[in-house]
Amino acid sequence: MFMRFVAAASCAAVLGSAALAQDYPSDNVTVIVPFAPGGASDTTARTVTQAMQADFGQPLVVENKPGANGAVGAAELARAKPDGYTIMVASIGTYGINPALRADLPYDPREDMEMLTVAVRTPNVLVTRPTLEVKSAEELIAMLKEQPDTMLFASSGVGSSDHLTAELFWQQTGTSGIHVPYSGGGPAQTDIIGGHADVSFQNLGAVAGFVREGQMKMLAIAAAERSPDFPDVPTFKELGIEGMEVYSWQAFGAPKGLDPAVKETLVGAIHGALEKPEVQETFKNLGFEVLANTPAEADAFVADEIARWSEVVKAGNITPEE
Amino acid sequence: MEILGDLWLGVQTAFSFWNLTYCLLGVFLGTAIGVLPGLGPTATVAMLLPVTFGLSPETAIIMLAGIFYGAQYGGSTTAILVNLPGESSSVVTAIDGYQMARQGQAGKALATAAIGSFIAGSIATVLIAFFAPLLSSVALAFGPHEYFALMVLGLAASVVLASGSLLHAVGMILFGLILGLIGTDVQTGAMRFTFGSFELADGISFVVVAMGVFGLGEILSNLENEADRTTVLTKVTGLMPTRADLRAMLAPVGRGTALGSVLGILPGGGAMLSSFASYALEKKVSKTPQQFGKGALAGVAGPEAANNAGAQTSFIPMLTLGIPSNPVMALMIGALIMQGIQPGPSVIQDQPVLFWGLIVSMWVGNLMLLVLNLPLIGIWVKMISIPYGYLFPCIVAFCLIGVFSLANSTFDIWLMGLFGVAGYILRKLDCEPAPLLLGFVLGPMLEEHLRRAMLVSRGDVTSFFTSPISAVLLLVAALLIASVLAPAIRAKREEAFQDED
Repeated sequence: MFMRFVAAASCAAVLGSAALAQDYPSDNVTVIVPFAPGGASDTTARTVTQAMQADFGQPLVVENKPGANGAVGAAELARAKPDGYTIMVASIGTYGINPALRADLPYDPREDMEMLTVAVRTPNVLVTRPTLEVKSAEELIAMLKEQPDTMLFASSGVGSSDHLTAELFWQQTGTSGIHVPYSGGGPAQTDIIGGHADVSFQNLGAVAGFVREGQMKMLAIAAAERSPDFPDVPTFKELGIEGMEVYSWQAFGAPKGLDPAVKETLVGAIHGALEKPEVQETFKNLGFEVLANTPAEADAFVADEIARWSEVVKAGNITPEE
Repeated sequence: MEILGDLWLGVQTAFSFWNLTYCLLGVFLGTAIGVLPGLGPTATVAMLLPVTFGLSPETAIIMLAGIFYGAQYGGSTTAILVNLPGESSSVVTAIDGYQMARQGQAGKALATAAIGSFIAGSIATVLIAFFAPLLSSVALAFGPHEYFALMVLGLAASVVLASGSLLHAVGMILFGLILGLIGTDVQTGAMRFTFGSFELADGISFVVVAMGVFGLGEILSNLENEADRTTVLTKVTGLMPTRADLRAMLAPVGRGTALGSVLGILPGGGAMLSSFASYALEKKVSKTPQQFGKGALAGVAGPEAANNAGAQTSFIPMLTLGIPSNPVMALMIGALIMQGIQPGPSVIQDQPVLFWGLIVSMWVGNLMLLVLNLPLIGIWVKMISIPYGYLFPCIVAFCLIGVFSLANSTFDIWLMGLFGVAGYILRKLDCEPAPLLLGFVLGPMLEEHLRRAMLVSRGDVTSFFTSPISAVLLLVAALLIASVLAPAIRAKREEAFQDED
């Protein structure tokens, strides 16, 4: 409790100098990234703030607050004053899955936050180890049905988007496998390449290089349409599997109760940055698609995601607190 | 000879004026943050990331890499001078290095570390240049079983680290293992021993424990014995190693380089194991193992070589697969992505300038570090003759800044204070902190890999012995344990027989 007080007090001191909405921005804007530097949310935050900097008039400071799959940083955003001087970039995990997964979260994206925009997204794809003897998703599903609960599904961790995509896949196809959680995407990918695990759902951008070099096989893409980079890989919908459109996404959020004028300035600046050709280029290289939707769309999108994953969690009986 | 053409391309890249400048800047910054306790390369690289946007990709990565391996050099300086290891790899250096410093041989210890690191770094760089793609297949051969066996070997080696009572050392390792359990369970996502605090959800940071137990604990007990400390540290002899010393360190450096190069390739925690695997090896092969823990030169030379070789070869998974071995590498990948380069298996073909430029710059950077560090030794050594009343507040201040910079969290600072008190009590009880830290670092990985191995093999224990790599590692671990226990048992029996006489 005391620690909370100290943290809150230091925040208040920093933000004390913040002035009225019409002068906005008149001070540094802190952009919380609730993960360690180097990941997708961090890259998104740094790429976008870098591009915002020139026109924004005030420095945007990226602050990494890692912990508990984004919960530590998100809790700080929820506690921050809604004055536009503290915003956050976070992922599907922090905004979309955690609230569906954990009852004891110190924040609720629907109650404590409002979304500015969903900035980028990348589809999850079904990959297998190179030595697995299947040539298509149909063959894999047939094999899974023949030998239920034997194939090893690697994921970046319990409650990660790739874990829940696997869970959704089992539910939609009536199959099952063994979930093998890793601490992060890197180790999970390494074990797929090394042949220590069989199947995984990973972000398209993260595994595109491995697929091109033949170190993984890509069987299907959980997107609305085929990827122009991999025109031969079918979508799940084409395979007759419904409800398997899964994107990992990064969104900008703010504490609830933002002044409309401040919100407009912020959203305008973020959208402006996302439209810049060099930013588009960076995200294209990452395998990310720039979405840049409106705040209302973003709020609805996040609520839908939470509802969707709540169902998957319930149907799959995934309970982390055991 | 294609490789010669590639290397020539690397030389042209690395020796361009700006790349040399940024390489020097990188290693200089790395040394500086390495020397300052608690400040690590992760925070520094994160802060400098925006600076790299304006540079060409190879210049950016050359500078960031320089910070990373420069910090490895610098970290040993603090470990030796004030018994403060800022990275898990310098925990071992602190054991004998600090004892040497207390005997007035700080200069010799620092020079040994610098020369050992340089030789190891140079050899490891050559290895990367010639065998990087081949070596990455070694990393891929390691699955859950092999990693578990490696961690068991690491645990066995950490028993060898003990210079005092074996029972105390085992107790400290177990204590460390238990501390490592705090946090989110990877297999189920359940939070364990976090008392409902989300700050503890990812476990306790290594730096927090190290700064607390080593740094604050040492300071507390020093303040208690102010009188003997000043008398111990006024005499400083032997700034540079003698010819005999250099000869004596050659074999440990060679062995350390080999160990570090191999272990560094493994992204699942191999680089970290290298320094104390080397320490354990040196203590085993030494003719005077009783010297270890009391200021043995080989106990500094071997682990320092191993940790620097490991730091260099840990670039292999990043360069050949695009998979980071540690948080600093993850940041470098982030930097490359922002430059429009997606690190991955095709980087060597698609970005030859970047790949070969970086490799050659690593050797150049290591040379710069040697040249930078040898003359600095005189200044560092003077640092410990600063009156303790001025020195310790500075150390505490840097520890605070360093710990805060980890995750911008005040919680970590309170936690460090708690570990400081724990460190003081442990010292009073004659319990060494090094085995504690190693248990703490190894514990989570041991558990994660064991449980994953069991999951993957559906609970089949024999799978540890059907994998050849895992079987060999476990056998070596068993032999190591036996060799530690045998003298102890023999001594006990001799004692028993003498009692009968």
